[in-house]
Formats: sequence, C-alpha cells, structure tokens
Amino acid sequence: MFNMQTTFKEYRIAIFIVALGVLIGFPAMAHHSGVAYFDLEVEIIQHDAIVVEYVLVNPHGRLTYKFNDEAGVQQEWTGELASSNNLRRLGLGGAILKPGDKLKTVTGSPARSGTNFMRLSRVDFENGDVAQLVGANAGITRSGE
Amino acid sequence: MFSKKIVLAFTLILFVSSATAQGDFEGIWMANHPPRMGQPDPSAVKMTPAGLAEFEAFTPEKDTQLRCLMPGIPLGLIDPYPIEIVYQEHQILILYEHFHQVRRVFIDGRKAPDHWQPSLGGYSTGEWDGDTLVITTTHLSPDNNTWTAGYPFSGDESAYVVERWSRDGDELNLTGEVHDATNYEKPYVVNGHWTFAPDGEIWEYECIPEYAGVK
Repeated sequence: MFNMQTTFKEYRIAIFIVALGVLIGFPAMAHHSGVAYFDLEVEIIQHDAIVVEYVLVNPHGRLTYKFNDEAGVQQEWTGELASSNNLRRLGLGGAILKPGDKLKTVTGSPARSGTNFMRLSRVDFENGDVAQLVGANAGITRSGE
Repeated sequence: MFSKKIVLAFTLILFVSSATAQGDFEGIWMANHPPRMGQPDPSAVKMTPAGLAEFEAFTPEKDTQLRCLMPGIPLGLIDPYPIEIVYQEHQILILYEHFHQVRRVFIDGRKAPDHWQPSLGGYSTGEWDGDTLVITTTHLSPDNNTWTAGYPFSGDESAYVVERWSRDGDELNLTGEVHDATNYEKPYVVNGHWTFAPDGEIWEYECIPEYAGVK
C-alpha cells in the first residue's frame, strides 16, 4: 500500500513571524482554536510523503501520511484540515487524495502537544498541483494553469 | 363615509411605508468576512482583570465546537459558512450551515418568558430601525465563548449581545456588540459580511467528535 522506496530529501523547520498576518483572509481554517492548539509561528515542511488516509468530515478533515525522516526512519503524521464542507467548496473533495498518492511536500504548523500532528496550510502534489489550504487564495491550482 | 376612506388610505400608506422600510434579507448568503474573520484587532479588546484571567486560562477544550456543540452566541455570530434567512410573520429565522444552528429572532414584540433557561443560543428579539434589523440576545450560557482565540464570555444575567444587520445591494453586513461587563471594559465588537447567493446551497454539517480535537 505504501511506497517504502520513498526517500527522505529534506525535513526543515522554518521559523517565521506571523505578526499581523496570521488570521488575515483565513476563510477555511481559522475558526476552531487554531492558536490554542497549534504553534502558528512555526512552519514545518515535510518532503516525499505518501498518503495513508484522507478523511473528509466536520468539523475538521484529516490527512494522514508517511515519510522517512533524516535517519531513514518512517514517520507517520496527521494533518488537520478545514471542514469537509469547506474542503468541498475549495475543490478538495474526496476523490482528490487516496491512499498511496505521492506528495512532494506537506506544509503546516505543529501541534503544541508535541505529537505528530499539525495544522496543514499547503500540500504540493507530485503532479505539480498545489492545494493552498489557508489564506485568501485557498483552493487548488492545477499544474499548467 | 369619506372620513373612513381617508383613515383607511392613511392606514395603508403607513403600512406600506413601514413594510418597505424593513430590509429584505431573505435568501442564502455566502460568507465573505473581513480580515481576522471579522474579529477585532487584539489591541482593541479591553478586558477586565477577570476577563484577562479567563483569557489566559483558556484551553481548546472550552471551545464548544470541539465538543461538536453548536457555537451559539456570541461565538457563532461569524463563521466561514453560508447562512439562509427566512422571514415569517412573527419571527425571522437565521439558518446556519455551521453545526445546523437555527436562530429564531422574534419580531412581534414578545419578551423572553420567565421560564427561559440560559443556553448557547439564548433568546433573541428583533426590531427594525429603518431598514436595519436590530437583534438583542439575552439568556446566554456561560459555556459560550466570544471567540476561539480564548476571548471569554461570562454568561452573566446582565450579559447580552446586540446585532445590527443591514443590506447594501447584494451585500449583507453585521455589526455585533458583545456586552459583558465582567470580562470587557467596553463591548467586544465583531463585523460580519455576506454576499447574496441566489443559487447558493446550505449543506449538511454533521460533526464527528472523533475529529473535533487534536491528537
């Protein structure tokens, strides 16, 4: 089911100051205690992930995926998404991701709990499609568009 | 007989002018809120010491929505989902996609009955100020919050929320004032904005508790 040949290329944490822009134009995901649950001042970018599960439910969808860390050890993380209703309105309905799909990068902010859980802000698909999950431009951009 | 006709004519004129003075908000409206989801700049929120203590003690578990409970008022004044507004003779219904929340705003002059218990939705009455609908909501629950970032709501008997709804073409605007003297030195003010969507849809919103929190 999973492509174990996936190699870990890079796992980096980019610290950035969110300042005034944290919640600006944040229609899809800013509604449920995001600041309290997640460290929105930290951005994590994980590379070469394989989709394990994509669940479209309310109040939040979830994307579970695997990738190999720097030591080559497989990690499984889960990303919180917008609600099923908002994901569908963004063009991110159920057929868009399925187990085994490859993702170039998964970007988000980690849970304050320290678990392998984060709030996703962007997913880059292997085919070049990009799902922007927060901000005024939330939605999916197809490669070639 | 002539005087009766004049009285009838005046009555009709008054009725028609009164009816046309009211805003027409019926239909489906898609959320299109200002930055920060219409919440005030944090620097504009003036909390009392008690409010600040509540704010600092906030944990996500206090967010009703993360227990699959409807947000209620004031938290649910603004959310990123469509709403539908329906007029009836004695009430205006505000039907939220979010959590299937239903609000009944009584516009026939009634007051909250003595037996009404505090609740997430409270008790809402409305009146027209020209073409602006002014809603006052009382009997609100202390289980509520003002905003998910941790801004508290006391649910004290004296706490209430005033909303002013107005229409500008295809745009619907809301200014909401949360009056909670226990937690705020001045009302906490939110601003909502929706766009008329005659072809819009209100979808089902089932909340699954397993997916409401954080792992």
